[in-house]
Amino acid sequence: MPLLAAQGLTKLFGRLVALDHVDLAIEAGEVVGLIGPNGAGKSTLVNLLSGFESPSEGAVAFAGRALDALGAPAIARLGLARTFQIAQAFPAMTVRQNVAVPALFRGAPAPSVRAALREADHLLESVGLGPKAALPAGALTTPDLRRLELAKALALQPRLMLLDEVMAGLTPAEVDAAMALLREVNARGIALLVIEHVLRAVMGLSSRVVVLHHGRKIAEGPPDRVTADPAVIEAYLGPGPASR
Amino acid sequence: MSPELQIALQNAINGLLLGGTYALVAVGFSLVWGVLNVVNLAHGSLVMLGAYVTYWLYTRYRLDPFASLPLTGLALFGFGYPLQRLVINQVIRASFLITFLLTFGLDLLVTNLALAAWTADVRAVTTPYSGRSLALGPLALPLVRAIALLVALAGAALLQLLLTRTRLGSAIRATASDLEAARLMGIPVARVYALTFAIAAATAGVAGGLISLSFPIFPAMGAGYTLIAFVVCVLGGLGSVPGAFLGGLLLGLLQTYAAAWLGPNFDNIVAFSVLVLVLVVRPAGLLGRTERFRG
Amino acid sequence: MTAALSGTARRRLALALALAVAVGLPALTNTYYVRLATGILMFAALACGWNLVGGYAGYPDFGAAAFLGIGAYTTGVLMARAAVPFPLALLAGAFLAVVAAVLMGAVLLRLRGHYFAIATLGFMLVLQQLAANLELTGGGSGMNLPVARSFTTFYYWMLGVCALAAAAGLFLPRLRVGYAIAAIRENQAAAEALGIAPLPYKIIAYSGSAFVFGLVGGVYAYWFTFIDPPTVFNVDFAIQAIVMTLFGGPATALGPVAGAIVLKSLDTVLTTVSIFLHNVFFGALVCLLVIFAPRGLADLRRARGGILAALRAALRENRI
Repeated sequence: MPLLAAQGLTKLFGRLVALDHVDLAIEAGEVVGLIGPNGAGKSTLVNLLSGFESPSEGAVAFAGRALDALGAPAIARLGLARTFQIAQAFPAMTVRQNVAVPALFRGAPAPSVRAALREADHLLESVGLGPKAALPAGALTTPDLRRLELAKALALQPRLMLLDEVMAGLTPAEVDAAMALLREVNARGIALLVIEHVLRAVMGLSSRVVVLHHGRKIAEGPPDRVTADPAVIEAYLGPGPASR
Repeated sequence: MSPELQIALQNAINGLLLGGTYALVAVGFSLVWGVLNVVNLAHGSLVMLGAYVTYWLYTRYRLDPFASLPLTGLALFGFGYPLQRLVINQVIRASFLITFLLTFGLDLLVTNLALAAWTADVRAVTTPYSGRSLALGPLALPLVRAIALLVALAGAALLQLLLTRTRLGSAIRATASDLEAARLMGIPVARVYALTFAIAAATAGVAGGLISLSFPIFPAMGAGYTLIAFVVCVLGGLGSVPGAFLGGLLLGLLQTYAAAWLGPNFDNIVAFSVLVLVLVVRPAGLLGRTERFRG
Repeated sequence: MTAALSGTARRRLALALALAVAVGLPALTNTYYVRLATGILMFAALACGWNLVGGYAGYPDFGAAAFLGIGAYTTGVLMARAAVPFPLALLAGAFLAVVAAVLMGAVLLRLRGHYFAIATLGFMLVLQQLAANLELTGGGSGMNLPVARSFTTFYYWMLGVCALAAAAGLFLPRLRVGYAIAAIRENQAAAEALGIAPLPYKIIAYSGSAFVFGLVGGVYAYWFTFIDPPTVFNVDFAIQAIVMTLFGGPATALGPVAGAIVLKSLDTVLTTVSIFLHNVFFGALVCLLVIFAPRGLADLRRARGGILAALRAALRENRI
């Protein structure tokens, strides 16, 4: 049974169809990439899976449990973590305290505050933010904030992480570093859904890629097959000479 | 006509007349909130000042209260413009708690200076025609309040015309919509804010003038009207002049019927309960949007 | 010898000394100053209590006096009509305040910013009208409480409440609950994504401040022997708490206490001159503070480039 099973997910905003009967399955420990042009519905999908919005139609099951009636906090506690496109830190709290928060609230058994802070330090080391642990989060640069997002998501001890465009705006060297970090995370058994525009990262990390366009899934398969798919190319570049 | 129906209809008339006043009180408050994103806790004291201006113009210079309304409006306009331009504009981009506190401080200052100048004595404007009412069959239509409703309607209509048909109105709506964009387009936003506030102060002043004809005047009278303005805005939706008007009428009706059934000391309870109910059930108000002024 | 002590140790010593003086005060001065000190402690307690919901949780409660009134009237009714001893009546009042906070909070804490502030104000005004209309509370003419013998008792009660409120502010940020409340204040969506369901924690903060206000209300009622609706259900309590907190520093546990000491002392001097002056001073102070030191005076002192530069920076940031 897949770790995450989403069936027929549909989201309407008035008459705008943001998602149109999308099916998605993710196995435990898998890395799945999600790509598509802007406005394809990727972020909406992430919001539906993480409980920040409710589907107009369709259902999501995670680790065998239906997510219908659950809000975002409960879903996070089940082990489905997400990052935000614009990193959402707690600016007045220290970096260490930021990471301690999810450690304290991920569910039973909850560690003591002291233990949570120690765990935060370990996690910060692993993402390369160790030296900045005592700084207020509001003082961090954007790439550091992304790493903080990652550390916070990891502190939830998730089984699946939804990574919403974590590579946006990074230099090629930073992308490499991020990819290495994500491979490490995956090696610990955490499944990843990587939503990205940086195709190099998606291709390099995913075993399977899903393509969304205008809210619908138009392709799914191994990375090289998907990128060669004419429908995918058309979605990104527009209709080619052959189809006129 | 049965006595129950007569009472109900009389209450309806009284409620609508009361509501008209509430509407005019609220319209300026809604404008400032919608455009400047400031909840003006000193709004009631502007109403109070308008009432006193009308009172003094009548007792000192024998100017008929209805006729002196334009003067009252002008006086409050002249008070409101520098207040916004020089004082409130200093904190306008800060958090709402800051602007809230500033307007609270201003309210405290204005109310207490008024108290020092005019004492706490309760006053009223009584003209020869104050007590008259027109007879509509078995129902009574208090003359002064009926004219006040018409004035309120005219005032709101004028305001709506200003906002939708004039260049100033467009500038105001643009600034409300997006401050930075308006500034980039060359709109003098500081001045627009000051003008908006001044216009709102003028309407508050005129409302105060109308109130002075039917209700007691005293320096601390403002607070109740600020709360009313808030409830009306929540009811009618922010950023909508028609909404504020309808919200005012509705609140007037609700309070009048509640007073008839529960007794006269429950007006705050009614206002607050209505407020919470609407906020929880329909936060955008009956007619408006929760976001800034759109016109 | 003191030069050898570290910063924290020095601060702890200062705190211990202050506490010692506070405890011994009635023996050291005359009744006038003890009464003055009781008033200062009262507002210090209110400021610390308000800070729990306004500062730590980020929900500015302008109607906090609703809970002060509940505490005052419960204590009054129980003592005057049921001969309940003061400590019990006091606790009952504070407990009732908490119950009210839980019930109202479940509804009101879903609202944001402006709406929450005015709704809490409205709640306070409703209670004011209710108290003025009920026979139980003596209606508009208020009610009397049994007279107490010595008022050093009140000083110690107020000291106890103030210590409790300050301790709450001191320890909250270190507790798990405090982390949740801070996270919700900083970024509610992010907090939800990390497993925190916001409403229960907001209610905890709200109830905490209600408990403090309820306790203060009960002591206040017994101390003044007479209460009536407009006096206890008065927006002034919350406003003073807010201004004192702003003055002393909203991010710290003891800032509100410092603010209360300075402002209340100043205030007392002015009130003896005239009530009008007191209100005008207060109104002007609020305006000036908010324009020139929106993040508290403490922040101003810490700013680089001196105070004048800090003042100019504050203006530049917030003006249009």
